[in-house]
Amino acid sequence: MTNKNNIEQAITENRYEWLGKLKELGQELRRDKAGLIGVVLITTLVLVALFASYISPHDPTEQDLTARLVPPAWYEKGSMDHIFGTDHLGRDILSRSIHGSRVSLWVGTSVVLLAGSFGVVMGLMAGYLGGRVDAFVMRWIDTQVAFPGLLLALIILAVIGPSLTTVVVVLSLNGWMVYGRMTRSAVLSVKQSPYVEAAEIVGGRWPRIIFRHILPNLTSPLLTLAILEFARIVLAEAALSFLGLGIQPPATSWGLDVAVGKNYMFMAWWLVTIPGCAIAITVLAVNLVASWLRLISDPQEREKQFARHMAGRMRKQLNLKNEKELARS
Amino acid sequence: MKKFGRLLLMAMFMLALVSTSSFAGNESITIALGSEPTTLDPQLREDGGERAVNDNIYDTILTRTPKGELIPLLAAAMPTLVNPTTWEVKLRSGIKFHNGETMNADAVVYSIKRVIDPDYNSEQISFFSTIKDASKVDELTLNILTKGSDPILPSRLYWMKVVSPNHSKDPKFFEKPIGTGPYQMVNWKRGQSIELKRNENYWGTAPQIKTVNYRFIEEPGTRLAGLMAGESDLITNLLPEFTKQVPKSVHILGLEHPIIILNADSGVTKDVRVRQALNYAVDKEALAKGLFEGFAQVAQGQLLSPSFFGYNDQVKAYPYDLAKAKKLIKEAGAEGATVELVGTSGRWLKDRDIVEAVAAYWKKAGINAKVRIFEFSEYLNRLFDRKTRADGIFVTSSNELLDADKSFSAYYKAGGIGSSNTDEKLAGLIDQARSEIDVEKRTDLYHQAVKQAHDQAYFVWLLNIEDVYGLSKRLDWAGRVDARLLVQEMKVR
Amino acid sequence: MGRFILRRLIHGLIVIMGVTIIVFVVTRMVGDPVKVMLPLESTLEQRAAFEKKLGFDRPIYIQFVDFMGDIARLDFGDSLWQHRPAMEIVFEKLPMTILLTVVGIGLACIIAIPMGIIAALRPGGIVDRITVFGSLLGLSVPQFWLGLLFIVLLAVQFRILPTSGSATPSHLIMPALTMALPTLARLVMLVRSSMIDELNQQYVKTSFAKGLPFIRVVGVHALRNAGLPVMTLVGWEVIRALAGYSVIVETVFAWPGIGLTAIQAIEREDLILVQAIVFTAAISVVLINIAMDFIYKLIDPRLKLT
Repeated sequence: MTNKNNIEQAITENRYEWLGKLKELGQELRRDKAGLIGVVLITTLVLVALFASYISPHDPTEQDLTARLVPPAWYEKGSMDHIFGTDHLGRDILSRSIHGSRVSLWVGTSVVLLAGSFGVVMGLMAGYLGGRVDAFVMRWIDTQVAFPGLLLALIILAVIGPSLTTVVVVLSLNGWMVYGRMTRSAVLSVKQSPYVEAAEIVGGRWPRIIFRHILPNLTSPLLTLAILEFARIVLAEAALSFLGLGIQPPATSWGLDVAVGKNYMFMAWWLVTIPGCAIAITVLAVNLVASWLRLISDPQEREKQFARHMAGRMRKQLNLKNEKELARS
Repeated sequence: MKKFGRLLLMAMFMLALVSTSSFAGNESITIALGSEPTTLDPQLREDGGERAVNDNIYDTILTRTPKGELIPLLAAAMPTLVNPTTWEVKLRSGIKFHNGETMNADAVVYSIKRVIDPDYNSEQISFFSTIKDASKVDELTLNILTKGSDPILPSRLYWMKVVSPNHSKDPKFFEKPIGTGPYQMVNWKRGQSIELKRNENYWGTAPQIKTVNYRFIEEPGTRLAGLMAGESDLITNLLPEFTKQVPKSVHILGLEHPIIILNADSGVTKDVRVRQALNYAVDKEALAKGLFEGFAQVAQGQLLSPSFFGYNDQVKAYPYDLAKAKKLIKEAGAEGATVELVGTSGRWLKDRDIVEAVAAYWKKAGINAKVRIFEFSEYLNRLFDRKTRADGIFVTSSNELLDADKSFSAYYKAGGIGSSNTDEKLAGLIDQARSEIDVEKRTDLYHQAVKQAHDQAYFVWLLNIEDVYGLSKRLDWAGRVDARLLVQEMKVR
Repeated sequence: MGRFILRRLIHGLIVIMGVTIIVFVVTRMVGDPVKVMLPLESTLEQRAAFEKKLGFDRPIYIQFVDFMGDIARLDFGDSLWQHRPAMEIVFEKLPMTILLTVVGIGLACIIAIPMGIIAALRPGGIVDRITVFGSLLGLSVPQFWLGLLFIVLLAVQFRILPTSGSATPSHLIMPALTMALPTLARLVMLVRSSMIDELNQQYVKTSFAKGLPFIRVVGVHALRNAGLPVMTLVGWEVIRALAGYSVIVETVFAWPGIGLTAIQAIEREDLILVQAIVFTAAISVVLINIAMDFIYKLIDPRLKLT
């Protein structure tokens, strides 16, 4: 009975703790305007990508050769039917951009997950097991880092044939090393901590120790890294598609749309500009969130920021006081 | 920071002044090509960039008028048939190469032997594959021997550039071309430009333009930017949409025919009604008007332009008739069937767009086309795959001989490199025409072949595309059906 | 030191061998350059003859042995596309990429270092916030898109710069600016944060207290200590450019460098040229890595070289 109560209590406490943390995070967010904008943007984007088929006014592949290169709605020749105009095949730019977000987010997420999990596992093993394993993994990473990565990626894509899957695989193969290095150095720093040693004494097996005891302590730096990598991957996918070695039609991708649109950029700027802006806004939002996360996860930075915030408030109060005094006199 | 920005802008501006001033000069023009020549040996490669430059440096034995009619160039008259496998060519006298050597029967015989030599391994061999040998008769006369009779030898001689026997042995020949043409080489800065100047001793009419600069820009958008910024005077493959934006444009019916090869041996397309339906289902007028802004004409149910030998003016395009298409498909029991439509991207003007548009039309008629756009080399695997043919393969045929033989042997004839039918009758007609010397009989054979293929609907014939060029305000040029960029025909105002 | 050099060289060799073998395997696996090279309507016999001429009909292991010999002699043979020695093409294009990289990254340094310092002087101030946001924006704009924007505005609309190519120094401006932007953004952030750290160090405060001139303290003492991470980043950016990332800028501006050539060679299935380019890129990366280690050693002799 008491046992059950205890558990329930623990759960509620835990929930409160969790809620409290979330609340704290919200407060932090309110203080950091840029971070807030980033979070809002990303949330919107994810929603847009999830519900793309419901939001987009047209089928992104539906073409209308009689309504090609229609300008955006605010032009005289434009119409509300195509708010951002149409492309060279009469397809709706807005719908294409909405559907393009799926590709970017999908590629970004899967590459971060694939490369991230592989890199983290390698890093954990190297850091915890040390010795030969460590030497081997580090040598591997050093060697692969020294490869001309993009060139190899382009060749592999050209040979296997570009597609969504190959893009994900190639970008993952190219991007796991940074996780590996970072995880390894983080593991080295927590390896000697008392709780890990305790777990070892109790006789935990190494996979259990690294996943149950070491990994949770690396969440915050890994999260920041993953988000930064996400931004990089979104740009990389766009660049590959722009070069014609990424996503292939009839699928849509922002980079692909820019590549096609560039032939028309002197008469129909919207073909290039809208997907280009979509890429820039997405990556910017992710970067804003990443820099905010870095701030709050770094105690030193956090302190500084808090000091700045307080200083600002004090200055404001001081000014107010001065003004009041001025007014009084 | 502000100051620095201003400084930077000023520096940019001054640099720009310096660079633009070098484009001045009345009789000098700049032509932007899509690719840099890989060599300037005129006989080795099949290379558009090389051809664009060398067409002005070298003369061919025969040439064509801008409208496509064959006329003598280095030859004094049209070649005559001595016996079914021997042609006699008489040459003009008094023509000299840029280095002073004389152009004579020796030079022509040498050039012919050079290009057909298996060790030389020329990529142009498909133009000359029927030539067996050549021999000198006298200083200005030679005989050309063919393997079997070859009615289109004159068309082939229009491709035969004549090189100098001595100079072509120079190891640097591939970058220092010496011909008999109206322009001669000045320099070639790899990766940047080729400069030609007028051959002041040219035997024909002297061209007006003194120097020509070729620049190489692969991206059509960038090429267009160069024209709009006033850096070049002539660009090729202008997108039809831009004819209103550029200072001036020229368009002329070209050699390119986009078609879809239908698999007549298996799948739903085995049924002739389905193949016909797929023809009826496509609104070719709309493609020409919409996709090409009117700079293309509907192909008249054959892989030939009106200017080609073998064109059958009795055969017309399948009209756009959705109801009929649906009816035929229903009759064949192919409603809702899925076909694989293979295409590529970036190789030909609007290649991907055409395929996607055709797929959309087919869908309306009740056939689901699964569009598969492959990167070019993978696409070629599909096109050349003899064992499993895709239901539909998009290809753009470009027939530089202006004669039915080349494209029919490749796509119409059973067993041809890109054909998807096993029609013995059609193959027989094409084989017979290949060695028929009598012009009238040969014409008739091709007319029959055209009709047979049309009735069987082995292809979806789409368009005949016009070549569109962007020109600067000051340049006058009318274009040519064979798409050659002959600077001697251009004028600067 | 000697052992360090030896180890580095051996590692470099492993990298280069690894890269070239991967490229050999990948390209030969499906590579049939013949079909791309000949005109569409060529017959099967013509294709077979051509393949034989190029030696692609031989068993793959014989081709591999040949290939290893080629590497040893630094001669990959003639490019299938250009019909001249592949290394000749590489040596022609490589300087163009190096020029673009050096100017682009040089430009980034010249702008980023003062900008980062100014921002660091007053963290959280308005200048700092604008700088931070500006660099985030710079990191987020796709390079190819920025390049297109430059062409539309500077070359076609205002006609102050040539659109593409490499004939005059003014042709270099737009590609170099485009090349510089992401590097610039990363550098500004790095200079800013390392300067903030340095300026908070005791020795800087002491120097100020001692009355040393402001410029001297910030420009000489603090900057020198912030130099190591900045150096690392710059080196990394150079490596990135040579490892193929210049391909985007080169494609947009038709800059005849190694990246543009690589993508053209890939499109044309020119295995020989692709191999030569990747090999050269791998060597460059290895050499720069070794050079960087030396520079570290020069800057900070306490560093242990392993």
